[in-house]
Amino acid sequence: MSETSSELDAQGTELSRGDVLKRAGAAAFAVSMFGALPDKALGFYGPLRYQHKQLAGELKILQWAHFVPSYDQWLDNTYVKQWGEKNDVEVKIDHINNALLFSTASSEVAAQSGHDLYQFISPPSSFQKQVLPLNDIVQEVTKKVGPMSRVGLRSTYNPRTKAFFGFPDNYAPDPVQYRRSILAEADVNLRTWEDVRKGAPKLKQAGHPVGLGMSNEIDSNMMLISLLYCHGGFLQDEDNKIVLNTGSSRKGAIEALELMRDIYRNGMSDEIFAWTAASNNQAFLAGRLSMTLNAISIARSAESSGNTGLSDDTWLASIPRGPVTRLGNEHVMGVYVIWRFAKNKEAAKKFLVDQQLGYREHFTRSLYYNFPAWTGAIKGGFKAIREMTKQDTHKPRGKYTILTTIAEKYTTNVGHPGNSNAVIDEIFNRYLIPQMFAQVAQGKTTPADAVRDLDREAKTIFRKWRNAGLV
Amino acid sequence: MAAEPLRAVRRKLPTYLVVAPFAIVLAFPFYWMLVTMFKEDLDLYNAQNVPYVFNPLQWKFWESATTKHIEFLFEDTQYTNWLVNTAIVGVVVVAITLVFALPAGYALARLSGSWGQTAGIGIFLVYLIPPTLLFLPLSPVVARLGLQNSLLSLILVYPSFTIPFATWLLMGFFKTIPQELEDAALVDGCSRIQALLRIVFPVSLPGILTVVIFAFSLCVNEFIYAFTFISSSENRTISSGVPNELIRGDVFFWQSLMAATLIPSIVLALLYNSFLDRFIKGFTGGAFR
Repeated sequence: MSETSSELDAQGTELSRGDVLKRAGAAAFAVSMFGALPDKALGFYGPLRYQHKQLAGELKILQWAHFVPSYDQWLDNTYVKQWGEKNDVEVKIDHINNALLFSTASSEVAAQSGHDLYQFISPPSSFQKQVLPLNDIVQEVTKKVGPMSRVGLRSTYNPRTKAFFGFPDNYAPDPVQYRRSILAEADVNLRTWEDVRKGAPKLKQAGHPVGLGMSNEIDSNMMLISLLYCHGGFLQDEDNKIVLNTGSSRKGAIEALELMRDIYRNGMSDEIFAWTAASNNQAFLAGRLSMTLNAISIARSAESSGNTGLSDDTWLASIPRGPVTRLGNEHVMGVYVIWRFAKNKEAAKKFLVDQQLGYREHFTRSLYYNFPAWTGAIKGGFKAIREMTKQDTHKPRGKYTILTTIAEKYTTNVGHPGNSNAVIDEIFNRYLIPQMFAQVAQGKTTPADAVRDLDREAKTIFRKWRNAGLV
Repeated sequence: MAAEPLRAVRRKLPTYLVVAPFAIVLAFPFYWMLVTMFKEDLDLYNAQNVPYVFNPLQWKFWESATTKHIEFLFEDTQYTNWLVNTAIVGVVVVAITLVFALPAGYALARLSGSWGQTAGIGIFLVYLIPPTLLFLPLSPVVARLGLQNSLLSLILVYPSFTIPFATWLLMGFFKTIPQELEDAALVDGCSRIQALLRIVFPVSLPGILTVVIFAFSLCVNEFIYAFTFISSSENRTISSGVPNELIRGDVFFWQSLMAATLIPSIVLALLYNSFLDRFIKGFTGGAFR
């Protein structure tokens, strides 16, 4: 889980003596001037690098409609306005449904016109040729708050081009959400995937099946790729070479496919092949499911619905351990890009830097959904984050503290142990992994054949992007 | 005297018995939407509840209902703007469509000779090219004209599918109007334009209304262009604004979604209903000669 030296260089984590002195000076100045205003002095962190006149103009931002509407309202009406006033920039921020981020981005690229800043919720590696490398602002933030999280780094850095094609802003851990009373009654625990396999029939019999999708949607994609990791099945190695049908990776992938086939046959129903991203939320909130994997939108929706019986009984846990490891994907990776055609690149860069440096309020306003890509962006790092999550008053008290553990120990990027590159992006967005699992679960192919076929397809995709110079 | 109404009821009873199930089935989605839009989250998400009524079940059902989701729709989203924008785009596009499709349909029906039919089919085929193929090549056009995030982009693009469809529909309708009517007008001293305006178009009113309603419906329903060419919430139309702002991540705001779709549905249903007879006449006009 360690970063390579080129990745560290690209981040600029090495501090020179001059850097240390500059930071100390800036810190002393900031403390003396704004010591009583921690995290409130929006847009002012350290000495101003940009002059107002350089930034003047309009900054257009597009990002997903956050599942917490109040976060977007605060962002649009308070944060962005204040930032704009401080920086002499008129900021316009638009929000769109996350399922349409890629098609809208394609349209903007085709038109070579649109927003300056564009936020994806998965690493947009296939757009690399259309975006500005952002090494400079990555280094700027790293110098101020310490190294970027590994998940952020591996999601946005291309070792081939040695460029950060995106600016990792935030990520959401992907916990298990389960009904404690139902699992206790059925005497099922979720420590390992083997436990899930054994418990699934009991839970189905109790009328509350397991909810693990095998459909063309983000939740299935994230969960199934994580399941592969836990069994030692990896699409690519650290050097981004396709290895799915090779050695221990092949063995792990086959085991994961067999496990999922068993869980489906004994503990789920056909509906999981037609699920949308919202299906597990809805089934869980309707009281049908006993467990699923998702970001905290389920638990938060249960709370806001007023159904305290359900919300108090909804507990969070880390992804179950597999025979090889306990590791899951981030659920959402908020990555901003600045298009090459952007009209106000400098303002876009400053916006990203300022937003990351003041991430504490973004974290709380998003109800602990948005973890900062630089953990140090919240002073005190994971320790402070854990303390913040402890403050949540919903029952069971402290249930969100597990998010810190998941984020710190069990969260990685899509494409682990390699980078989230264009190959992974294409495999992810064509939903080849859920399709492979569904084929096996439905008995249309054997696990070994499915692994071989996907490996072949992945290698074809790899060659395409290799020829394009992106891997 | 009392036997007469009874006989009338008996006569119509079989008709009603046949029609009633269809009416119930067709009206059910609207009823479902109506009930759901007033439901509390707690009522909606509890699988033990009867989904067709308010829970807990009581005579004063309004005590189990809430208007907060409708308030959210009108106060916390740009829903009113979306309605207005949809109406503006719909009306302007319908006008543009009529300006082009009326003469085109007439020309293909009357003046084109043997190749008219082929040209008509060709025009209709243009309508069949899906927006999912066209939105990318059209994006640079919209950008170069400076129409991004403007309703004008939709007003420019929508006629690309309304005009072919309307032309094809009107062509069929004009063919049902006897040539002799126009000949008589020409003999009486009308020019061809005057014959069109005074004789052909008034007779074609059912067909024109059909085109109006269809073109308007196409504009209201269109999603891809509305979504990709308009990016700010206040400029969106219903078809893009509703799914964009009421589905956040993997959370659906069901009650607000129901309200947002029911309101324009009622308007459209009333519109259809008020012209129902003419509409049916117009739609079937091209089918029988």
